[in-house]
This record gives sequence, structure tokens and C-alpha cells, in this order.
Amino acid sequence: MTSKAEFEEVKKFEKDLGQCMKCGFCTFWCPVYQEERIESSVARGKNMMVRALLAGDLEYTKEYAERLNKCTLCMTCTANCPAKANIPNIIVAARADKVKAKGVAFPYNIVYRWLLPRRKLFGNVVRFASWFQGIFLPKTQGTIRHLSMFLSALGKGRYIPQIAPRFLRQMVPMVNKPTVANETGIRVGYFTGCMTDFVFPEVGKKVINFLTRHGVEVVVPREQGCCGAPVFLGAGDLATGRKMADTNVKAFADFDYVVADCATCSSAMKDYVKFLADTPERQEAYTKFAGKIKDITEFLVDVLKLPPSAYRAVPEAKGKKVTWHDPCHLNRHMGITRQPREILKSIPDIEYVEMPNADRCCGMAGSFSIYFYDVSQKIADKKMAGIDATGADIVVTDCPGCEFQLIDTTMRHDSPVKVMHIMELLE
Amino acid sequence: MLRPEIITQLQEIVGKPAVLTAKEDLTSYSYDGTATWAHLPDVVVLPTTAEQISRTLKLANENRIPVTPRGAGINVSGGSIPIKGGIVLCTTRMNRILEISKGNMVATVEPGVVLQDFNLALAKEGLFYPPDPQSFLGCTMGGTVAENAGGPYCVKYGVTKQYVVGLEVVLASGHIMKLGGVTVKNRTGYELMMLFTGSEGTLGVITKITVRLIPLPKASKTMMAIFDDMVAGGQAVSNILAAGVVPAKVEFVDNFVIRRIEEMTPMGLPVDANCLILLQTDGSPAAVEAEYVQIVDILKESGAREVKVAKDADEAMAYWKMRSAGFAAVFGAAKTVMAEDVAVPRDKLAEFIKKLGEISERTGFFIQYLGHAGDGNLHPAIFTDINNKEEFARAEKAMEEIFEAALSLGGVLSGEHGIGLEKKRFFSRAMDPVALELMKQIKKMVDPNNILNPGKIWEEEGA
Repeated sequence: MTSKAEFEEVKKFEKDLGQCMKCGFCTFWCPVYQEERIESSVARGKNMMVRALLAGDLEYTKEYAERLNKCTLCMTCTANCPAKANIPNIIVAARADKVKAKGVAFPYNIVYRWLLPRRKLFGNVVRFASWFQGIFLPKTQGTIRHLSMFLSALGKGRYIPQIAPRFLRQMVPMVNKPTVANETGIRVGYFTGCMTDFVFPEVGKKVINFLTRHGVEVVVPREQGCCGAPVFLGAGDLATGRKMADTNVKAFADFDYVVADCATCSSAMKDYVKFLADTPERQEAYTKFAGKIKDITEFLVDVLKLPPSAYRAVPEAKGKKVTWHDPCHLNRHMGITRQPREILKSIPDIEYVEMPNADRCCGMAGSFSIYFYDVSQKIADKKMAGIDATGADIVVTDCPGCEFQLIDTTMRHDSPVKVMHIMELLE
Repeated sequence: MLRPEIITQLQEIVGKPAVLTAKEDLTSYSYDGTATWAHLPDVVVLPTTAEQISRTLKLANENRIPVTPRGAGINVSGGSIPIKGGIVLCTTRMNRILEISKGNMVATVEPGVVLQDFNLALAKEGLFYPPDPQSFLGCTMGGTVAENAGGPYCVKYGVTKQYVVGLEVVLASGHIMKLGGVTVKNRTGYELMMLFTGSEGTLGVITKITVRLIPLPKASKTMMAIFDDMVAGGQAVSNILAAGVVPAKVEFVDNFVIRRIEEMTPMGLPVDANCLILLQTDGSPAAVEAEYVQIVDILKESGAREVKVAKDADEAMAYWKMRSAGFAAVFGAAKTVMAEDVAVPRDKLAEFIKKLGEISERTGFFIQYLGHAGDGNLHPAIFTDINNKEEFARAEKAMEEIFEAALSLGGVLSGEHGIGLEKKRFFSRAMDPVALELMKQIKKMVDPNNILNPGKIWEEEGA
């Protein structure tokens, strides 16, 4: 029998749990429900399952876990909820309670508990795997390979980007001094995130370049690790999440700003305080840390306050039609929608077009897309329709996770649309 | 519990993935939008064709298995609760819009089409389907027909039954029956379509719906009138209608909701106002101009402290969003919220409001209400706690008094939500006994084994 003590994480969000009055409006907004059209897909159904678990009417079963995992945490339900019930809080907390009671399942326990917190080892494993992808797998298009080895769990016929031949941390020095005379006096810590580090290092180089050219000193602390999103948000492993959080808080202790180019990382790090603060010390440290985190577009527009003339397109993007995809973590989790659009509208050499449903989830959501690739693809197909409706040549975003998904989606659709990080677009 | 071979047969009919039996799934089909009712089904079936529904019903009929038809399950009557277990027959996957005919001004849809999706598709063609239950973001067309739903627009445009021109219905026997057609006029025999419109899933399963449409109004204007006296507000509504002006919507928001909304999402509402009345006129630009001036005059003459006219579409939208957030404000306010759905004749609105005040004083319960003032359809709510047995019993009695008051003014038990489980204990009191008997006879004839949504609308004999 499950004891009440096992629900201690959910109980922290009792208000959200009770706030849902079952109006069912979330059915209209939930990307997963829109594909499956069954009640366990949507916030109301998931919340009712958690209530039933607490009431002793349900047990921790495989079915329970599967339904709880089938959520992208996109927050569209909450954004449109008349009662303002934050059911994603309940879902994360319920995942955590389950891990406390039952542990994490293989093979994710190896990856989450052991590999991700060990950044250097993780890098080596990724590197090791990348040799194999070159030997065994044919190149499909450019640097995009069909089913890379290291993430064969991610595979299932999916197009995923190749592991970079050299990681970002191997390419850039720890301290990057401003390259222009009019120094701003601002020194930032750059949080690279796993994807930028291992898969999209050119984005990282661009971030460092752009900032140093605008008078900012950029430090890349070597001690930083994974943000922990897949661990504490995705898998509900709060204990490991805490270790990762503490590592990052320590690595960036000396900085006023922590700049990141991945919306998921930024938002997850801001969420340390909500989900991981188990002591007053952590509460204080995580709150302080959250205040330092700036998404790159937010940093450029709101902190540096760069003039529109600062933004120019790279040569290959000149004269192209560009559209923007709002990452859920940037938009609904952090409230950042204006800044990237300001940047894009400032660029004189491109034509910016707004995408219909630009803020709709792309269906990536990390481990969600591993567990439920079929649903993830269907959600992405709707995104593709939005992109197609704009007639854009390039879709830009601010989250390597979304990029990952959009690359797979455009390739599945044989679409010529190019996927880029917003920083890659900038000269 | 159903026999395993029944589950196997259902899987053969609709395919394995469309039959849900895990307890987690059954849990998520055990409730609707009400606070108090819940019951697990034995199995959930998700058909995609009328033929699958026909075979499912035939199987259920032969084996005397209860079947609860369900759309999105967001009704507030207990109507879609599988109170006797058995099969939940959920139509959410039948969500194709089959035809929108501009020439005939009709559209044909499957029952699982969501009302908002339907209206978005119609808007592209310059068309409009007015019945607008405030659950439009989730409710399915099948559900709105089965419940004969209404909403704010109904003061001018009428309720669902005024729009249904054709139905395809599967009977308990499994027969697929076609009723009506695509013509607005149809005088062929008994109006059987109306038997199924508002039948709350007790007579058949609706599998195809043809509704008539109107052109999307070219212009509209939204007003907000602030009253210090609720009774005067109610009278103002009657005065407007008596003057021969029919606004598209007339909605009523009381002080409790005003304050709650200001707490939740501040938008500068007058928190000291006793009540707000939201109105919208629509039609041709010239008619809208003329009508709104007249409405503002009448509101002021009737004692409105202030009348605000929305400057643009955004401000109008903010007012209406506020109104639709109203129920969230109410339902989040107490452990148990008993909200009802009575309707009184339009000219009795002020009198009814006065009576509610008296009941509140007599019983000691605070009575909150918002609703569709324009058609006399209010949603009085009493805040209580179902776990406090003594108080809950008193709250139920107070609610009975509200029903009595509405009935004594020539009103009805339910304006738009339906009877379901929530109001069935009052049903016999509100219904002519001969009519009730006739209804029971019809039910017996159409569904002799009582498999379709059993236990709803009226109390069962011996229960």
C-alpha cells in the first residue's frame, strides 16, 4: 500500500491539484489531446488520475507512468486555464513522487543518474559514439545523419543532427575578452547546454563572438554541467537534479548574468527553486541563481539594449523570408516573446513573417519524443503546416531542442526550409 | 465487470487501440464537469464510424450492457457519467466537418467536432452557428445537440434546436436512422429529430448532424452597464426587451464575480458595483449604431450608474473573456459549489432576483449568480462543503427553494444544462405527470432494454 508520505512533492502543489474544476477547456489547447482525443492525454485527465492516486483509487503502475509521461509540459493548458491551474506542476511533482517510491527505470537510470551529471564522461561517451556513426551510418544530407548511434534510443527512423567533430568546450577558451574598444564593463557566464556543446557548437561560437564584439566579456566556466531538465522535469529524479543544480549554481557563483542560448536550459534552471529547493540554503541559492539567468535574446534586447542597427543577417540569409517559432520554454515558461521578434524585425536584409500558431508546441519535449515519437511527429506536422503557410525560407528559434525537432520535421516533409538558431542568423 | 469475450468483441468492432480498459483510463472517463458525480465505466470505446457504433449498440443490447454516450465530457449535469458502469461510448474521434454549404447555408458534421473548431471553419466562409454554450472550447457538436445547449447568443438567435435540420441516429437496436435533411423547411410527419435533440443520450447515439447557418454579422458593439442595485439591473434587461430591441447577448455578472475577477486578473472593473450587465448588439453597421444608442439610453433611464462602450474589438474581447472566466471565479471559491441553471420568463427577472435575496436571508447562505439575463437564465450558486453533512443538507434545501421560486414564476428547472443526474430528483415536480408518463413510454419503446444512458433524467421506479 502506498503511504501518504509518498506524495510529498504533489502536496507542495495542492493548490493546483484542487484548482482544476474540470471545465475541460484544456482539451482545446493541449497538443497531445488534439492528436489522441482521449481524456488521459489532457491536463484535466492527468490531474484526476493524480487525485485518484492520492485517494488510494489508483496505484503506481506502468499505465499510470505512461500517461503521466505523455505530456510535453508546454504549458498551453495553464496559459489558457480559466482557473489558472498549473497542472504541469502536478505532472512534474507526480513524476518525482513516483521516482521516490519506485525508482527510475532502466536504461534511463544509467543515463540520468550516472552519465548526465558527469559532463566530461558524458562527452567521451558521446565522442565514442560519434566515431561509430561515421563508420556504420551513411551520410544523408550534409551533417544530418539518419539514426545516429549514440542516441539510438532517440532513433526510430528519425533524422537527427550529427555529433559535432569538435565540442564547443574544445574550441573556445574559458575567458573571451571583448574585441571592441568601447567595453560595456559587463561580464557574463555563458551556459552552453549539452546540445550547443555537443551538437551545435557553431551556435555557441556565434554567441561568444556576437557578445564580445558588443563589448561583453564572456566566460565559459568549465565546471558547468547539464541543466538537469531531462532528469528532474522529464524523469522526476529530484535527487540527481539537485546535484546538477548545485554544480551549476557553484560554477556561476561569480557572475551577475548567466546567459544561455537554449530556452529549455534557461527555464529549467529558473525552475530549480520551484522543484528542487529542499532546504532554506538551496531556496536562497536557487532564487538568486534564477535572477541571473537571461535568455540570449532577452539579454541583447533588455540588458544590452542594442540598437536595431546591431542586427544584420549573415550573407546566406540575405534576401530570405524568415519566420520565428516560439519555444514553449521561452514563451510560456519565461514570458519571452517580444525580444526575439524585435531582433528579427530589426534585420534590414531579411523579410520577417509571423507564423500562424507560432507559439504552438513543436512536440519535441526531450524524453517525450523518445517515448512517444509517433505523437511527437503528429504534433510537429501541425507546426510544419504553420511554417509552410508563411512561405518562409528559414525558420529560426531559440532552443536547440526545438531545432532538433524542426530539422527532423522539415526533412520528413522533404521541405527546403532551413532550420536555424536565431544567433546563427545574425552577422 | 464485463465478460472478457465482450471486450474481445468490442476490440473486433473498433480495433484494439480504440478500446480502453486500464483502470487509469476508466478513471479519466468517470467524471464530467460537475463537482460531485463520478462512476467508473467498465470499458471505454472510441468509435470512428456510425457502423461501429451500430455494432457496439447491438452487442450491448443483446447482452443488456449499459451504454453512456459521451462527447468531451464537460457537461455540468452529470449526464455523461456512466452511473451504471458498462460502456462509455466516446465520440471525440469522429471529428470531421463533412460539408459546409454556402449555397444551402447548412453544414454537416460528425458528432465529435468541437464547437469552436466548427465556428473557426465557418468564419473562413463568412458563416456563423450561433448557439454558444460557454464550454465552446471543449464541447462537441454531438453533446450540444444531445443537451440542446444554449448560451449568451440565444437571446437573439435561439438555442440548438432552432438550428438542427438533419440527424443520423443509431438506435439501441443498432439500426442507423436518418432524420430530416438539408432543407430549412421540412413538414414530413412527426418531428422525430426533436426527440433526439435534448434527449441527453437516452434515446440514441447521434452520428451525423446537419445544422442551418446564418451569415457572420458584419458589425458588433459591446457595452458594459454598471448598476448599484441588482434588481434595477434585472428590470433594465426587461425594459430593453420590452422596447423591441433584441441585443445579441445580455449577460449578468454579480459583485462576487466582479471582485473575484479583479483578484485573479485585474482589469479595472468597478469592485463596488452591485452588478454588471454586459450587452452586445450585432448586425449591419447602421443597425448596430442605432441599436446601441437606444440601449445605452434605456440602461441609463433604468438606473445604470455608468455605461461603458468598448472602443474596439480588443476591449470587447476583454469584457467577454471576463464573463467566460466568471464560472472559474465561482467554482474556485468553495470546497463544493452547487450551481444551478434555472430560467424564468424574461419579464420576471427582477422579481426572481428579489426572491433570491429573500431566500439568501432566510437560509443564511450567500447566493451568488451570473448568467444569461437576456433569456431569464441565471446560474445561482451556493457555496458549501459536501463533507459537512449538516451544512450540505441545508444547502440542498436552500437550492430547492430556489427551484420552487423559479417554478412559481412560470420558470423551468434547467435552461440549458439538462437534467442528467444533477436535477433528476426535482424532475417529477417540474413536469406534468401525464407528460412524464409519455416520456417513460417513449423511452421504453425506443430503448426497450434500457441500455442507453440509464439512470438519467427521472428517478427510476423502486430507486
